[in-house]
Amino acid sequence: MSTNNNNSILSSIGTEIIGIISPVSICMLLVVLLVYSQSSPSDQPIRTAANLIYQEAPSDSTSQKLEGSLLNAVVFIILIALVTFLLVILYYYNFTGFLKNYMRFSAFFVLGGMGGTIFISVIVRFSLPVDVFTFVVLLFNFTVVGVMSVFAEGVAIPIVLRQVYMVCLGIIVAAWFTGLPEWSTWSLLVALAVYDLVAVLAPGGPLKILVELASSRDDDLPALVYEARPTVNGNGGGGRGGFGFLVGGVSSDEVEGGIEMSSRRGDVGEGVDGTDESDDTGETSPLVRNVRDGVRSSYSGSSGMSRGNEIVENEEGTPLSAIMGMEMEPRSGDVREEEMTRGIKLGLGDFVFYSVLVGRAAMYDLMTVYACYLAIISGLGCTLILLSVFRQALPALPISIALGIMFYFLTRVLMEPFLVGTSTNLMMF
Amino acid sequence: MTVSGGIGYVLLALGPSLTIFITLISSKPFLILTLLSSTLVWLISLIVLSGLWRVFLPLKTTAWWPYVILILTSIAFQEGLRLLLWRGYKKMEDMLDAFADRAAKPRLYLTDKMQIALAGGLGHGVAHAVFFCLSLLTPSFGPATFYVDKCSYAPFFLISAIISLAFVTIHTFSMVVAFNGYAEGNKSDQLIVPAIHLVAGTLTLVNLISGGCIVGIPLLYVVALSTLAYCGKMVWRRLTETQIRLTPQNQ
Repeated sequence: MSTNNNNSILSSIGTEIIGIISPVSICMLLVVLLVYSQSSPSDQPIRTAANLIYQEAPSDSTSQKLEGSLLNAVVFIILIALVTFLLVILYYYNFTGFLKNYMRFSAFFVLGGMGGTIFISVIVRFSLPVDVFTFVVLLFNFTVVGVMSVFAEGVAIPIVLRQVYMVCLGIIVAAWFTGLPEWSTWSLLVALAVYDLVAVLAPGGPLKILVELASSRDDDLPALVYEARPTVNGNGGGGRGGFGFLVGGVSSDEVEGGIEMSSRRGDVGEGVDGTDESDDTGETSPLVRNVRDGVRSSYSGSSGMSRGNEIVENEEGTPLSAIMGMEMEPRSGDVREEEMTRGIKLGLGDFVFYSVLVGRAAMYDLMTVYACYLAIISGLGCTLILLSVFRQALPALPISIALGIMFYFLTRVLMEPFLVGTSTNLMMF
Repeated sequence: MTVSGGIGYVLLALGPSLTIFITLISSKPFLILTLLSSTLVWLISLIVLSGLWRVFLPLKTTAWWPYVILILTSIAFQEGLRLLLWRGYKKMEDMLDAFADRAAKPRLYLTDKMQIALAGGLGHGVAHAVFFCLSLLTPSFGPATFYVDKCSYAPFFLISAIISLAFVTIHTFSMVVAFNGYAEGNKSDQLIVPAIHLVAGTLTLVNLISGGCIVGIPLLYVVALSTLAYCGKMVWRRLTETQIRLTPQNQ
C-alpha cells in the first residue's frame, strides 16, 4: 500500500487549479486579517476614483445611496475603459518601453506609498517598536526588490519572489479598496464584473484586443498577471492532463510533458522582434500594464498617505481577465509551445476584487466571509473549467463575483438567523 | 489574552481536522478540490434549509417540538444529499479511472477511494464547525465572554467548540463508512450512517433542558468515538482483505 502515494493519479490531478487557488486564498486571508486588525472602520471615508461623484454617508436614504453608488460605478468604469484603451493604443504603436517604465513607477508607488500607509497603520495598531529610520530603510528595500522582481529584465528573479510580490500588490490595493463605503463597493463590484465580461469577450473589447495583439506579436501580455508555473516535477505531463481531465475528456495525445519545452523558451524570446522584451526567461516580461492605473491613482498625489486627498484609483483596469495561456494546445508553432510552458495566468485585478468582496464581507461577520470565500473559489473553479473548454482568454470576475454577492446576501438574510437561533440553543446537526 | 482564547476555541474545534488536512490532504490537489466542493455542498444545503425555515424563525415558543422537527428535517435533507454526493462521486470515479487508463497510470487504489471519501467527509465536518462554531466566535476575541442560561457551566464558545469537535469527527468518518457501504452494497453500513447522524442530532436536543448539556455532551462523545471505532474497524477489515488478495499477485 505504501507505493500508492507516489504514482497514484490523485496526486497529479488538479495541480494547476490549486496553483491558482492557493495564492488567491492567501491574498483573501491576509486582506481579511487586515480588515479585522483595523477594527475601527476608517474615520474619514477615502476619496478615490471609485467614488468621485457621490460621497456615501450612513444617514442617506436607500434610494440616494443606490443612485449615488451606481453613478460612482459608472464613472469608475468609464475611467477604467479610457485608461485601458489608452494602454492598448500605446501598446499597438509599440511604446513598450514607456509602458514598462510607467508600470515600474506605479508599482513603486503602490508598494511604497499605499503599502507604507498600510504598514504604518499595522505598526500603530499593534504598537510594534520600530523606529523611523529602520522602517524607511526596510520599506525602501521591500519596494525596490518588488519593482525589480515584478518588472525585471535580464535579472534572474525567482518565480516565487515574483509571485509573492504579485500577491502583495493585490493585498495592498485590495486593502485600500475596502475603505470604500458599503453600497459603493457592491455596485462597483457588479459594474466591474460586467465590464470585465464585455472587455474580454465582446468584439472590440479592449482586453480582447490586447490579448490578441500580444499573441499575434508573440509577446507577453503587457499587463500585471499572476502566473502559476506549471509544475515541473515528474508528473508534469499527468498534471496538465489532469487539468484537462477535470474538465471532461480531453484526448490524451494532448498530454505532453511540459518540461522539454521549457528549454526552447530561450530561442523563442530572441525571435521576438522587440528586442527589449526578449528576456531569456520568458517569464519576466509579462508585465505590466495594468497596474499602471493602480498607480496612478495612488501616486497621483503621492497622496498615498493623506487619506483625505483625492486619490484616483483606477487600478486594475486591465488585468481583470483571467488570462490564460492555456497550456494544452498542441500546436506546432514555437510560440504556442512557449505558451504551453506557461501556467495559468490570472490578472492581478481579479485578486484585488475577490479580496475586496471578501474584505467587505469580513466587515459584517465571519460567516459571510466563509460563504463568500467558498463561492468565489467555486466560481474560479468554474471559470478554469470553462477555460479549458474554450481555450481562450476568459474574464475571471463575472462568475465569481456573481456567486460571491449571491452567497453574501443569502447568508446574511437567510442563514444567519437560522444558525444563530439553533446554535445559541446548543443544537447542531 | 482574549485573542489566544479565541484561537484556542478554534483549534479545539478544528485542530484534528487541521492535522488530517496537513498530513493527508494538502499534498494531493485533487483531495483539496474534493474538500472544497464538499464544503460548498454542505453550505448550500444549509442555505436551502435555512431558507425553508426562515419563515418560522426565530421560534418564540419555549416548546421543544419545533426544534425536533427542525433537527429531523435537517438530518433527512442532509442524508438525502449524501446519496446525491455518492452518485456524483461514482461518476467522478469512472472518469478518473478512464483517465488513468489513458495516461497509463494505475487505477484508483482502495486507499485512494477511501481518501476521497475522507476528504469529502472532512469537507462536511469542517463546514459544520465553521458555520456552527467558528462564525459565532468573533465576539470571543473581544474582552468578554458569554454564557447561555441552559448550560452555565462553561462559556458558550467553549461548549460549542466541544460539540463541534464531536460533530466534525462524526461527519468525517461517517462519510468514509457510507461510501464504503454504498460501494460494497452493504446494507448495514448504509443504514448506520443516517442512524448515527440522527442519534447525534437528537442528543443535542438534550441541551434544551436546563443543565442537560452535562448529560448530552458526554453521550455525544460516546457516539463520536463509536463512529470512529466503527470506521477504523471497517477500514482495517477492507485493507487486510485486499492485502490478502493482492499479496499473491505482487510476488
